Parts: sequence; structure tokens; C-alpha cells
Amino acid sequence: MLAASVLAALVLGVVAASLAIGTAQVPIARTLPAVLGAGEARDVLLVQRLRLPRVVAGLAVGAALGIAGVLLQTLARNRLATPDTVGLNDGATAFAVASVVAVPATVAPSAFALVGSATAAALALGLAGGADHRGYRFLVVGLGVGAALGAITQLMLARAPIDEANRAFPWTIGSLNARAPGAVTAVAICVVLALPVAVLLARQLRLLRLADPVVIGLGQRVSRIRLAVIALAVVTAGLAVATAGPLGLVALLAPEIARKASGPRVVPVMGSALAGALVVLLADLLGRTVAAPVELPAGIVTAIVGGPYLLWLLLTTRTRKMP
Amino acid sequence: MSAVDTPLPGTRPVLIRENRVAETAHLATQRLDVGYDGTTVVRSLDLELPPGRVTAIVGPNGCGKSTLLGALARVHAPQAGAVLLDGRELAALRPRDVARRIGLLPQQAEAPDGLTVRDLVRYGRHPHQGLLRQWTPDDAAAVHRALAAADLLELADRALDTLSGGQRQRAWIAMVVAQETEIVLLDEPTSALDLGHQLEVLDLVHDLAAAGRTVVLVLHDLSTACRHADHLVAMRDGLVVAEGAPAQVVSPQLVRDLYGVEAVVLTDPTAGTPVVCPVRRVREQ
Repeated sequence: MLAASVLAALVLGVVAASLAIGTAQVPIARTLPAVLGAGEARDVLLVQRLRLPRVVAGLAVGAALGIAGVLLQTLARNRLATPDTVGLNDGATAFAVASVVAVPATVAPSAFALVGSATAAALALGLAGGADHRGYRFLVVGLGVGAALGAITQLMLARAPIDEANRAFPWTIGSLNARAPGAVTAVAICVVLALPVAVLLARQLRLLRLADPVVIGLGQRVSRIRLAVIALAVVTAGLAVATAGPLGLVALLAPEIARKASGPRVVPVMGSALAGALVVLLADLLGRTVAAPVELPAGIVTAIVGGPYLLWLLLTTRTRKMP
Repeated sequence: MSAVDTPLPGTRPVLIRENRVAETAHLATQRLDVGYDGTTVVRSLDLELPPGRVTAIVGPNGCGKSTLLGALARVHAPQAGAVLLDGRELAALRPRDVARRIGLLPQQAEAPDGLTVRDLVRYGRHPHQGLLRQWTPDDAAAVHRALAAADLLELADRALDTLSGGQRQRAWIAMVVAQETEIVLLDEPTSALDLGHQLEVLDLVHDLAAAGRTVVLVLHDLSTACRHADHLVAMRDGLVVAEGAPAQVVSPQLVRDLYGVEAVVLTDPTAGTPVVCPVRRVREQ
């Protein structure tokens, strides 16, 4: 609880900073009135029209990736199991890129991205023969499916005319810049729905960290809860990627931060959602300001900053196994 | 799946002790085939577990002891035949209802790092909770009783990975005790423990039986099984080769049949139970 409160406070701080900072500054004290439509017209335009949608997108996408990450990690009892590694992101990217370069008229890449992550998950589940055996097979097969889809993406980009390849390029990095309004709404609604469900499943998730016979002995239907976890992870990760592209490492970092804050007793669903939002918003803020007026995509920032941070976390954390 | 032909006798009242069990369930198997990953390990097994007593399942490695125990707790689904709880097929009951009546401690149970003894024991209350029925004073009391029974009150807030092997094993058993089931299944609860810690665990087993619970142990040491069980089930190659009170069942011939070992069977001077002294391995079969 305390950990979640601290993370929530940090998220609020970064939200305020994100609303205030940009090519034109708005004093922090004036951001809240501007969000509500009060104050100078310039502030309202900057904050409410330009920056708020981006911040909402960052919050929703980060939270979604955080939820997906902690769910998959718990499912596999493996900290390396995230939407990046099990092929969900690759599937979404491949389909989004295909919709830009391979289909004559560009149709909503966001919708394609969602279909792509669902397809990757379905392929992995089908080839692995379900989610038994801790979902290990699902994860390993997912790795292979992701690699294949990644190769297809590269092939499409290599063969496409340069203009189309350029338009498809954002879908391979991850950024809050080119987002479809419909996708933001979808991922926001998804987070609002998935978060309570995942929190309600917390007791079952805690149990999933034990060996299968123990879990069955305690009367829990293992396959059922596992499928529910995979379904939640696919939808949250799919919608996140459909909105912002494959933001690398967020789903890996967020649960690490949340776990560090909350200790070993719980599976920190809420904490991971908050930490994910925090990471994405910070990455976006850094990307917008560090090299201004050039904007670095958030996906590049998460990779540059996240990689070393993750290494540091892994090297300084006493725990060797999964939570 | 074969239907239940003749319902077995129902529950019977037993003595009530501290961890009150008002009545104890009757667990049996009927022409049970069970295995996993496409193989059948245990074949056509008919078994009845004496209610309120300690039963030990013994036999060589790979004879199907653990698989059988897993089937009794619905970890493995029957390939044919049935496991019957009070005459009703286990597979047809709701998992949570089964878990309120049958507790299982599997082998080599591992816990997440940093988890405390109390956290682990609290897991035992899982089958008693639901979306609408969250943590209650009853659950807290059950956890306290289990910790007390396993003599772990002082270690309750220590992380499991900081405990000795014996203490950790007692914590796992306490988790099953907190489940407050009429039937307790323990897979090799004393393996990898020294003599003192073995006795600690086995004393706990006696307490459970004394409180009216049916206890089923998988043990690899025949003498330990004879000393601590009321009822012995000897298995080999997925079949029961002998069953009954240890003193009546254990003989040099049985030891030879089970393990391919020539042995002298003595009588324990204090308990009067059989003690097995291996002499040599015999080449056979």
C-alpha cells in the first residue's frame, strides 16, 4: 500500500511536469486549472489540447505494459518473461508495419497491431498446446514466433519504397508522438477494466508462484487461472503496442521497480501499473526535452536509460529467483 | 470413467482434540489407473485408507508412490477407475471443496525468496477463502494453531530461506495443517532431514493422527514407516504387493521383493515394530 502510494505520488509529479514542460513552458501551478479549462487561453491550448492527450496516452500505455509484464513474469516464474520476449510486441509491430507498407491503402495500423499481438499469442498458445507446464512451452514457443515475426517486419521494411518504410518506421520503435485517438481511448478503457480484474486475481497470482502440485492441493484450478492471466496480458500488451508501438523494456522494468518497492509477499499488480506509467511518462518527457527541438522517441529513451538501470537492479538485488 | 457401484461407508465421528476434526473422510481408490504424460504408472489399484490412522506408502524409487499420492489429491487425473472421497468421485467434486478436506504436501516444494513462514502458512487458508469470503479471524486463528502445532511461533516472521532444512519442512507442513483438512497427504516429509529433525516432523504427524486426521505418508525408509505408521502399503511397479499392519506385513521376503535386498528383520526393542537390517543386494529377476 505504502509502496503504491509513493509510486502514485511520483506519477502525479511526472504528470504535472509533463504538462508544464515543453517548447513553451507553463508554470506548474497553472497546469491543473488549465487541464480543467481555466486560465489563459494559451495555457489551456498547450495543456489541455496538446499535452494532456499525450500524457493520458503515456499513463495508459505504461500501465498496460506494467500489468502485462507482471502477469507474464508471475505466470512463468521468470523475470525475463514479458510482452517483448514472448512475441506479443513483435506480432503487433509486424502487423502494423504490414498495414502501412504491404496493404495498398493504409488502414488503421493500430487495429492491425492489436490483431498482430493476438495472432502471436494464439500462434504461441496453439503451437505450445495450451498453457500447461507453467506456461514454459508457451514462453519458449512465443520467443520463436516473435523472432519469426521480427524477421518478417525487417523484410517488409527492406522491400518497401522508402516513403512507406519511413511512415512505418515509428511502429518499430515506440513513441507517444504518432498515436491514433481511438487507440488511446481503447487502451485507457482496457487499463481501467483490466486493473481491477488483475487486482482481484492477486490472491490466485500469489499462489501461482508456488509449484503446481502445491497450487492444485490448495484447490486452485491452475489452467483456468493461467489462461485468464495470458488473456489479460495479451489484451493489455496488444492495446499498448497498438497505441505507442513496442516501447522496449517497460514491461520488464515496471515490475522490477514495483517489486523492489513492495517486497516479496505480494504480486504487485497496482505497483507495476504505476511504475509502468512512471517509466513511459519519464521517457517521453526526457525524449522531448533532452535534445529539443529534436524529439527522441520514448522507445529509444526507455532502451538507453532502461538497459543500464535494469542491469543495476539485477546486480544489486539479493533475490536470485522470481518473486 | 466407471461409475461408483457401491457407495462406501460415510463419515464417522472421531475423538475431538485441540485442532478439532469432528469427523473424518473416507478415502479410497477403485480400479485406479494413473500416470502422466501418456504413461501409466499405477495400475488397477484398489485401496482403502483407514480413517483417523497413519498410513505409510513404501516401495522402491519409481514404483508409483508419489504418483499415487498425487492422484489422491487430484494432482493427476485418473486414466481409468476412480478416487473416491466418501464414496463420491474426486474428479466430480469442486477443487476447492476437495482442498478443504484433503491437504497435500508435495516433494521438493519451493517458495519464492523472501517469503516468511507466516506468509507460507497463510497460503493454507486459500481453499477457505473466496471472492466474497476474504481473510477472517477464523483464518488467523487457524494459522496461529498451525504455527503452534509445528512449534514455529517464534520463527513465524523469519524468511524461509534463512531457516534450516528441518524448520523449513515444518513450515511447509504447517501450511498443510493450516488447511485444517480431515485427510493429510505428505510426500517424503522426512527426506533430507537428520534424525532429530525427522523425529520432529514425525511427532507432528502423530499429533495430526491423534487429532482424528487421516494421514498418508510416502516414506522411503521402511523401518521409519514401520515405526510411525499404523498401516503399511508396499508398492512395486505400480502395484500393491502387501498391505496391513507393519508387524504383519514386513518380512525378509517382502524386503527382497521390494528392493532386491536380502535383509534381517528385527523387532524394535522399544516400540515392538519391525526394523530392517539390510545384508546384501541380491541379483534377481
